[in-house]
Formats: sequence, structure tokens, C-alpha cells
Amino acid sequence: MASDEFHRLALEHLDALYNFAMYLTRNPPEADDLVQETYLRAFRFSHRFQAGTHLRAWLFQILRNTFLTFYRLRERESALAEDGVPTWDVPMFHDAPEESSGAVEAHTDLERALLRLPEEFRTVLLLAEVEGMALEDVARVLGCPVGTVKSRIFRAKERLRGLLQDYTNK
Amino acid sequence: MSGDHSPESDEVLGTRLRAELRRYAAPTSLRAAITHGGAPPPRRAMWLSPVLAAAATVLALGLVFLLIGPRMVPADPVERLVRSVVAEHTRALMWGARRPEVIPTALPWLTQESGIGLKKVFAGDDHLQFSGAEPVYLEGHRGIALHYRDADGHLLSYVVLPIAGFPVPDRRRVQIERGTSRWRPALMHDSGFSAWVWRQGDLACFIVSDMVSDADVERFKDYFVRLRISTDPVPAQ
Repeated sequence: MASDEFHRLALEHLDALYNFAMYLTRNPPEADDLVQETYLRAFRFSHRFQAGTHLRAWLFQILRNTFLTFYRLRERESALAEDGVPTWDVPMFHDAPEESSGAVEAHTDLERALLRLPEEFRTVLLLAEVEGMALEDVARVLGCPVGTVKSRIFRAKERLRGLLQDYTNK
Repeated sequence: MSGDHSPESDEVLGTRLRAELRRYAAPTSLRAAITHGGAPPPRRAMWLSPVLAAAATVLALGLVFLLIGPRMVPADPVERLVRSVVAEHTRALMWGARRPEVIPTALPWLTQESGIGLKKVFAGDDHLQFSGAEPVYLEGHRGIALHYRDADGHLLSYVVLPIAGFPVPDRRRVQIERGTSRWRPALMHDSGFSAWVWRQGDLACFIVSDMVSDADVERFKDYFVRLRISTDPVPAQ
């Protein structure tokens, strides 16, 4: 695929990628960085992209992997005390961190509940439900089988319902 | 939890997500930067410097380890083997697999190169993601290494070497039970890494990770079970 054509097609997904980045980072400057880094990598490795495959899923995959690489590392760093020993036990599916300064505030209970979901659950709902991505594409982004995607969607909705119920009761 | 799992309520929740969530449009400045600049180098993220510093430290420590490691070779053959496996794990941790291959497409090649066949192999799940497989050559034995990464970024290396009668140290054995199944691998430590060590037929098997704290060991046990149940290595014919 010609470079200009690739750039044009890739940029069609800018808004969707930025929206996804905002829900991952909850912070506009970090979302900016994440999306720029995503495009930088996509353009650099555009020769690896196979024409005919799903460009959107490929871009989302790059964005999520970039997010996990930097964000998870940063989370791990901050979870270590000076002696290098974790100050708390890191659970497998950890909830989203508390909002830091500069983070975008959630306006609705639904948004608040979504932001409290662990990244794995939040991502699967954003891709499958909000972006309307096919399960096969979601599986590609997450690097897992379609069956796992289905079970994650089920569990994510279950947790989302629980959180919404909590807000209602409050 | 509401306990309402009907497809209808799933659908309603999906509709609400699509309809009620705010959508963030990319700022004009970002669009311009990517469009006109052909994606210029992004502003250096706040967290990038400490990450790079940490990576440099790991690299420096790795070099120190490589320099002084050979001078302290354990006399016990099992400990020596564990040290080699840990060194292989450290190499994968720092530089990635030399030639990472994705199972099952590379299975025939891996079997040919490593001398180890895999009747079944753990391809990853919600907790562990498969990140690559490669042939290894440790202490004079050809073998195979499968690498996985968990949700917290811990790298696990599952190494299999063909060593008939491999002596698993009895005093280091730990009993692990899952349902009706029970295993007694040895838990060994070397250079700040933990390793499960066990024998499977004529094969010596190892799972190495940096999970060393008490809390981590429980999770490490769980990973052992996941890999042990779903992977069946055999010497290649």
C-alpha cells in the first residue's frame, strides 16, 4: 500500500483512537501522547501491515499495547517502595487507579462505573460495544481467542451492572 | 450485582454505553501535528524518563551479572542447571527471544530444532499471555523455552530439557493440589528468581519467574498448575 494512501486511511480512525485513549488514560495530555506514539509506530511499521486486513483493529492493537507497555510499567514503579518491595499486593485484575490530578472527571454514573472497571474489562466494552468492533477484531486487539472476548464481555457487563446498582442504592 | 443476565439487559447495557458515553474528538492541534508532521516524534511523556532509567539500570545489572556469573558456578548439577535456566530467562527478559515463534505455526520447526515435541501446549488465557517460543541450548542439552507474560508484566519462562533421571531435590519439594490433581515440584531460587523444577518422564522441566515474595509464590503456584495441566512435552522421535 502506498505511503500516502496508508496515512490517509490511518487518519480516518484518529477520533476513535483518541476516544479510546481518553478512556484508558483519563488524561488529555497523556491521551495526546499515546495517540501520537500510536501513529508514529503505525507509520514506522506500515510495511508490516498486510493490505486487506483490518487497519482499524491493527491501530487499536498498537495503541493498547503501547498503553500497556508504558502505563503498566509506570504503575509497577509507583507500587514499589524505596527498598523495591511492593507496598501492596497487586491483584490480577486490578481496578482502575484513583483519579490523579489532571484527570478528566466522570459526569454520569455509567461513565464513573466504566472508569472503575479493570482495564481488561473496560477495553473489551469500549471496543465491542462503543466502537462496534466485530468480536474477531476485538480478539485481535486483545491477542486472545474469541471465546475469551465473549466471556470478558459477559463478566465486564456483570461488573458494570453491579457498580451501577451500587450507585443506585447510594 | 443485579443478577440479571438476560440477553435483553445485556443489549440494553450495550445501547446505553453507545448512547450515553461521551465521545472525545481528537483536538485540532493533535490532528494537525499528525497530519502535517507525518507523525512527528511525540512529546516526551512524563513517565518515559524513569522507565528508560530503569531499563538502563536493568541492562547494567545484567552486564554485571554476565561478568561475575561464571565465577560462581554451583557444584550441585541441579543448581547449575537452574542457574542456566535462570540466565536464559534473564536474557529473554532483557532482550526478548532471539527468534520468538508463535505456536502452533512454528511447532514443526521448534520440534526439529529443540528435540522436544509438544503433544499439547498452553496457549495463554485471561491470566497469562503467550509471548513466544524458541529452542535453547543449556548445559549441553537442546531444549525448548516457552515465554508467557502475566497481567502485571511478570515474564514466565517454561523450559524443557531432555535429561533422563533428572534428580529433583526432595527437600525443596512443595505440594500443590488442584481438585483431584496433585504435584510435588521443587521450588528453587537463584539470583533473585524463583523456579519450579520437576521431572516429567525423561524430561526436566522448569518454570522461572521473578515472583519471589510470599504473595507472589501463591500466584506462581497457580501459574504452575495452568502450565502443567495444559502442556505435555515429549522427547521428539
